[in-house]
Amino acid sequence: MSLTLGQVDRDEALLEVVAELHGDTRADFLRTAALGSGALLAALAAPASASAAVTDLQILNFGLRFERLQASFYTEADSVGTVGKMAPRKQRWAEVLGEHERAHVRIIKKILGSKAGKRPFFDFHGVTETEDSFTRTTVAMEDLTVALLAGVTPQVHDRRLTAALFGLLTVEARHAAWARNIVKTTPAARSFDEPRSLDNVKEAVAHTRFIVARPRMTRRRRSPRFTG
Amino acid sequence: MRLTVFAVAALAAGVGGAAIGARSGESTPGPSPAANGVPNPVAPAFTPGRPQPLPRSAYVSRWAPVRAATAARSAPDPRARVVARVATTTPEDTTNIVLVLGRRVDSAGRLWVRARLAALPPRTGWLPRSTLGGYGTVETRLIVDQRRLTATLLRRGRPVFRARVGVGQPQWPTPRGEFYVRNRLTRFAGATYGPLAFGTSARSAHLTDWPDGGFIGIHGTDQPQLIPGRVSHGCIRMRNADILALARLMPIGTPLTII
Repeated sequence: MSLTLGQVDRDEALLEVVAELHGDTRADFLRTAALGSGALLAALAAPASASAAVTDLQILNFGLRFERLQASFYTEADSVGTVGKMAPRKQRWAEVLGEHERAHVRIIKKILGSKAGKRPFFDFHGVTETEDSFTRTTVAMEDLTVALLAGVTPQVHDRRLTAALFGLLTVEARHAAWARNIVKTTPAARSFDEPRSLDNVKEAVAHTRFIVARPRMTRRRRSPRFTG
Repeated sequence: MRLTVFAVAALAAGVGGAAIGARSGESTPGPSPAANGVPNPVAPAFTPGRPQPLPRSAYVSRWAPVRAATAARSAPDPRARVVARVATTTPEDTTNIVLVLGRRVDSAGRLWVRARLAALPPRTGWLPRSTLGGYGTVETRLIVDQRRLTATLLRRGRPVFRARVGVGQPQWPTPRGEFYVRNRLTRFAGATYGPLAFGTSARSAHLTDWPDGGFIGIHGTDQPQLIPGRVSHGCIRMRNADILALARLMPIGTPLTII
């Protein structure tokens, strides 16, 4: 069985990013490319741009935002019952990955303390609610995480922080391989993973539309017209 | 082969570590060479703790904002009867939300959500998942008892707040049933509603011509001496100190049971 990027990326969020970075022709080509051939990572691994220097705080806060995205993704799939309906092998996989991502959020939040950014509001557009869409999106998400960590870890100034991020990177790489194994595609698709810059990943995350504006549920200075 | 030999020799000499230190320009101490000349690993700044299973709670309720105006249907089928129209905003100009009760995938693979609606009479309906936004969750429930004239807020099933309330007069009774809290209004002019008001999905069946459709609110009052009692047009009134205390505890999306 060979999955294509088009099948995984049904709302074409990732393909939009590819189109922006490499043009529509490249995106069209990749739409039907098999995941097993490493097409997804190839698409994600746009050449790192010569971005301005980023601080450790910026990297950690983006890492927190991204880990929160992942943790919320697994937590929602679990709490709406999608994970509970999966086969025991898959269920175990989703639960373990969820536990890991929540542990990552806790520790990065603790490190950042009062400098930790506010939790965003997530909208997963229903992909956590069916087994098929959940597992396929997981593949893309874990691959993206690996590319992100590979890109930003060498930019961290504090060597102890670099060492810790390498610890996260290797675990995320195992997650990516496990997710690929779950959807029966090649766990290690390429001989070399190319890193992505922070800006590249920010763009990719923005294009998923998983992070959205918080609903406006409080109004000030609006007089009630309830029955009283 | 020659390259491999060079790489191994470079690593053994600690060249990698020296290069990192030079690039970063940081004063953090480098790894001390071990007995065989290979540098020890740098101690990481943090290590994530033991993973913890997701806590299971029987008290979680889920709500979702309405992202696109839609029709709620009697079944998860685009041909099913329309039971209500669902807007993206409330009459108070806040994001409209629905309380999520269940979900189903139809024969065409479309995802549907069964939701409690702000409709008259109170009802549930099926909405396409694509018309709703991301889920929010709450672990609270507000119970208004019209016989005892009390409001009790439960968190994870345990009472965390209780207050005496005013409810509808016999000719304008407060509707009974299952509803939810859908917005909060603050800092408005006038003292009639007190300092703060919650909007709910409940609607009066007797005041349908009321401005904006006769929605039931939970709010403060400028006549605290009337509480507890059957004094309102259907709204749930509290003393101002009580509504402010409730506001600190009750998130939007909380299910509301009126008995």
